Amino acid sequence: MRSIRRKTEAAFGALLAAGAFGCREPPPAPLPHGSSPAPVRGGEMHLASFGDIKSLDPAVAGDTLTGEVIELMYAGLVDFDAQGHVVPDLAERFERSDDGLVYRFFLREGIRFHDGSPVTARDVKRSIERTLHPDTPPTFSAFYDRIVGFDDYQGRRADHLAGVVVEGERVVAIHLREPDASFLAAFAMQNLRPVCPSAGDRYDDTWQPCGAGPFKLEAWDRGRSVRLVRFDGWWQPGKPYFDALTYTYGMNMSTERFKFERGDLDVDRELLLADIFRYQGDPRWKPLGAYDAAPSIGGEEMNVEIAPFDNVEVRRAVACAIDREQIRMVKPPALTPLYRVLPPTLSGDDPSFPGQKYDYAAALEHMRRAGYPYDPATGKGGWPKPIVYVTYKQGLVEYTAQVIQQQLARIGLRLEIRMVSYPTYLAMSKRRGTVAITNSGWSQDFPDASDFFEPIFATAAINDEDSNNGSFYSNPKLDDILVRARKELDPAVRKRLYDDADAIVCDDAPWAMEYLYRYYGVHQPYVRDLAQHNVWSNYVRDAWLDKPPARTSSARASVRLAPRSLLGSILAVLE
Amino acid sequence: MTAWMDPRARRRFWKNRGARIGVLLVGLLVVFALVGPLVSHHDPYASDFRGGATALGEPVGPSATYWLGTDRIFRDVYVRLAYGARLSLVIAISSTLISTVIGAAVGLVAGYYEGTEGVRVPYLSIAGALVGFVLVVAGHTRAGGTALALAALAAVLAWIVKPGAIASGPGLDADSALMRLVDVGLSFPFLLLVMALAAAFDRTTVSTILWTLGLTSWLGTARVVRAKTMQVRSLDFIGAARALGQPVPRILLRHVLPNVAGPVIVLSTAQVASMIVAESVLSYLGVGIAPPTPTWGHMLYEGQEVYLGAPWLLAAPAAAILLSVLGFNLLGEGLRDALDPKED
Amino acid sequence: MIERVLKRIAWAVFVVWATTTVTFFINNVLPSDPARMVAGPQARPKDVERIRAQLGLDRPVLVQYGRFMRRLMHVGPSHVDPRDPEHGSCANLGPLHVDLGKSYQQRRPVVTILAERLPRTLLLAVAAVLIQTLLGVLTGLIAAAKRNTALDHFTVGASLVGISAPTFIIGLLLQFVLAYKLRLLPLDGYGDDLAEHAMSLVLPALTLGIYGAAYYTRVVRDELITAVKQDHVRTARAKGLGVVRVWLRHALRNALVPLVTLVGLDLGALVGGAIVTETLFRWPGLGALSVTALLDRDGPVILGTVIVSSAGIVLANLLVDASYALLDPRVRR
Repeated sequence: MRSIRRKTEAAFGALLAAGAFGCREPPPAPLPHGSSPAPVRGGEMHLASFGDIKSLDPAVAGDTLTGEVIELMYAGLVDFDAQGHVVPDLAERFERSDDGLVYRFFLREGIRFHDGSPVTARDVKRSIERTLHPDTPPTFSAFYDRIVGFDDYQGRRADHLAGVVVEGERVVAIHLREPDASFLAAFAMQNLRPVCPSAGDRYDDTWQPCGAGPFKLEAWDRGRSVRLVRFDGWWQPGKPYFDALTYTYGMNMSTERFKFERGDLDVDRELLLADIFRYQGDPRWKPLGAYDAAPSIGGEEMNVEIAPFDNVEVRRAVACAIDREQIRMVKPPALTPLYRVLPPTLSGDDPSFPGQKYDYAAALEHMRRAGYPYDPATGKGGWPKPIVYVTYKQGLVEYTAQVIQQQLARIGLRLEIRMVSYPTYLAMSKRRGTVAITNSGWSQDFPDASDFFEPIFATAAINDEDSNNGSFYSNPKLDDILVRARKELDPAVRKRLYDDADAIVCDDAPWAMEYLYRYYGVHQPYVRDLAQHNVWSNYVRDAWLDKPPARTSSARASVRLAPRSLLGSILAVLE
Repeated sequence: MTAWMDPRARRRFWKNRGARIGVLLVGLLVVFALVGPLVSHHDPYASDFRGGATALGEPVGPSATYWLGTDRIFRDVYVRLAYGARLSLVIAISSTLISTVIGAAVGLVAGYYEGTEGVRVPYLSIAGALVGFVLVVAGHTRAGGTALALAALAAVLAWIVKPGAIASGPGLDADSALMRLVDVGLSFPFLLLVMALAAAFDRTTVSTILWTLGLTSWLGTARVVRAKTMQVRSLDFIGAARALGQPVPRILLRHVLPNVAGPVIVLSTAQVASMIVAESVLSYLGVGIAPPTPTWGHMLYEGQEVYLGAPWLLAAPAAAILLSVLGFNLLGEGLRDALDPKED
Repeated sequence: MIERVLKRIAWAVFVVWATTTVTFFINNVLPSDPARMVAGPQARPKDVERIRAQLGLDRPVLVQYGRFMRRLMHVGPSHVDPRDPEHGSCANLGPLHVDLGKSYQQRRPVVTILAERLPRTLLLAVAAVLIQTLLGVLTGLIAAAKRNTALDHFTVGASLVGISAPTFIIGLLLQFVLAYKLRLLPLDGYGDDLAEHAMSLVLPALTLGIYGAAYYTRVVRDELITAVKQDHVRTARAKGLGVVRVWLRHALRNALVPLVTLVGLDLGALVGGAIVTETLFRWPGLGALSVTALLDRDGPVILGTVIVSSAGIVLANLLVDASYALLDPRVRR
């Protein structure tokens, strides 16, 4: 046997030596940069992504990639600062009434749209009504349902949204029917931002996008690229610093890396796993890399109406049986273990919070209490039948699914993985009585704790066919806390309420929380003031380019064959 | 049967160097599938987060413990490759069997009945179908649906009863019906069909995959068998059998089939090769067998994501697929040359 | 003769119609929700409901089918205004309109999306077929001329390997060597200007071309070997005509019929887009479009790509049959 093994070893080794020419080269040195102490005006920014955007209309913008461009083209009355607090933007100040029912915004003087027309309170009202109109393809109109007259407007019983009141040329007041502590955060999002008069008051997919942000649209080559240029009428003096921005879509991630290394791209936020390792391991590049702060949470979603997950002890066993450090190893640079519902940016990251933790002994104990004791030595016991686990093809969840399968087998729960397409997964996981357990996640819609509880764990979110509350978890005590927390205007009290909510969910475990997902990106050393923003990804609004003097652009050099580079490349193959 | 039992054919086969290499490769594959998993003590489904990972958390490359390195979640690649070999063989051979049986059956019937009279489709039915279609398009779905149902009923009645008057219409024989079906089938997008079948089966296990592949691949075989049947049916002994009053199925099975067997066998061997590829394409596109079951196609898909940093994850299944497919193709070539030699 | 032509054309139309109809109903049977796919996984159910109503997905299947067929081909104004709710998504040739609806995901007329993608797929198809024909004929010719020599065996062996490797393995290998290691060509994509288009075309066209060439080599070699044994060719040789001339004029012409068949069918099949190759190289053609449309459950786009690809195959079949009549007088009746 041993000689056979050695021979097969040798044979495979030979075969693989022929095929395995993947040497791990360190990344090239970062490109040179200037040393200007103050922001420099000028230059062009180049960004890229392998995805694509479908619309540049803020009324229907929903995904992160679109949001990056929308953030540059459209400014709102308020926006988020890097920490996620709401700060004035087009409005010079705003105030909230003591009862929390009226929000009043005072627009700056002299702000204009890209077509030159002034931004008035009437434009604000028009833009809000345009987005919330019943004919507009909605993405997140439900965020604003506390506005007075929302139901009448959406139900076509009223021609206008009564709660949005124009009080002057530059004053707008928004009336809510009940206090809503999350309203300001929702309002600072992109959907309601003012759009040019050319947009009219109805959504129209042939409209040429035009807003009031620091950049205006110069060209949009569908599926290929977007080009923005500085809007000279922007209210902040001297800003934006750089002249233009080109965003290229549909670019392969490896191509992105090549272009980044050659200086054709200024930020690379979509790195292959191997590349993240390279950059993080290189001391020259480490200061140039940063994690996007906008968090997504991930975990195992268990249907509390389907056995065995209708038994709370089984769910607690699952929460204890997941070794989050192992899960993390599926994609170490992107995953951080998560032990509670709220991400650290919203929970304050309190280490004394109990949450869910990996504890194998406790997991076995929970299984025993559930009535399905499992003996790891003999492999007997546990839940008698295999449990169907639905997942879809994607770089992360199909791997975590297989690791979870191994981990839950150790407490007597045998999973049978069923792969479906993403649309089927969505349809199945949101339908009552269909899926027992699956992996699920939630990306922050807006930076408020209510966004992580109400859509996922509240009874009101349950729907037979299309439920965001995929575990169909219903707890009146939790619902009560969430209703109170939504109206609570005192931040300290509010935080305590959401901590209570988090504790309830962690204990009842409709989800076994697993990880926080964040993107790691690197930027060129000459890109300065690239904010690590808690809400927006690729936030380049305040950035400036500090290139060394007399740097020739190597834009198209990548495609031509310079003899030296060809020789160098051939040598690279032989190494 | 005569052709392939022929000792001259067998001699030609063994003299052919390509055929010998083919037999060798296929033999290696079978041995690898049977014995490969037993040689290693690793579990294809167990992740080794400590020994299988580097300090940074990446999978290890080929080493003494992990002969072909570890995969994306730190499982042994060699033993997964070996189990994958079993699966590939089982799926490829079974789906080829299904495809050959269906294709041969359809081809035999179509070829035998080619040019014959067949059944008449009444003009009434055609008119009814057109009217029904127009009604549905115009928005009168209920009226349109009834018209279509009536048209279908009329066609069925005509087939059963066969009276002269209402049954007059263009002829439709078994051959043209089947071949029209094949035509429509061939212009169908393969991917959509596969996904629809996968959805119909509701899960992707070994059996659903092999039925999916089998049910979508018989068209080519049908065409070839039909052509060969048309050649064979005019031979004397077929006519004799018919004159003796033997029933058609018996004629087809006992007399026609053996003479058609040669090309069918060659085609099947090539088809096993393409089934191995098809399974890997299905896994690559995401509609193959569910993980964690190791299949070569899925390993290729997993490897593609990281191959720029860990090329062994791609090289191993790629080499395996290549060699297996090559082996079957060489085998098929050898059989073809042995059964139907081109004299040089 | 005319009757036969008409019957063939009628049959072709029927095939395209049947394929489209079956696709339509399969698409509706698949368990998923295009409205949810448009709204996104986190949209609230009320919003998803509204999108469903806006897309007309809440109506019964037959009604949706009727509407689709009705709008497919109709007569309308000769000048189409994109803002027109009735005819905004039509493509027109004078008063004749073709309307495939609007993509759920992109919210643009499907005909516009197809018009953008089809030329790129055609470019790839033509390039691939050119490569595989030239390469295949050349190697097949050499192999047949030098048959039973080492060169012949090598060529046959190489072509077998070429056929055995699935396109994406060939593609991955080419990509790894030529684009990643040697950095001669772009990894994937389409490029921004003509020069970049040309460079981006090389890898996918080569991938398809090598695979096809392997197949053509076998066919050409076999046909030539058979042709050479035929009387008229031997006569020509006996008459003392040069080898090359005999091969090219007499033998090759016989090989033409099956070759033309293959070229025609390949072109027809490639009109629908080489799905795996386009996906691998991110070539923005119809193949990649059909994959994303299928994964997104974007019904109108799926139907659009199915119509185009089946029309391509059917048209190719028609043209190939017609060319038989021209090339081989024995076929003409």
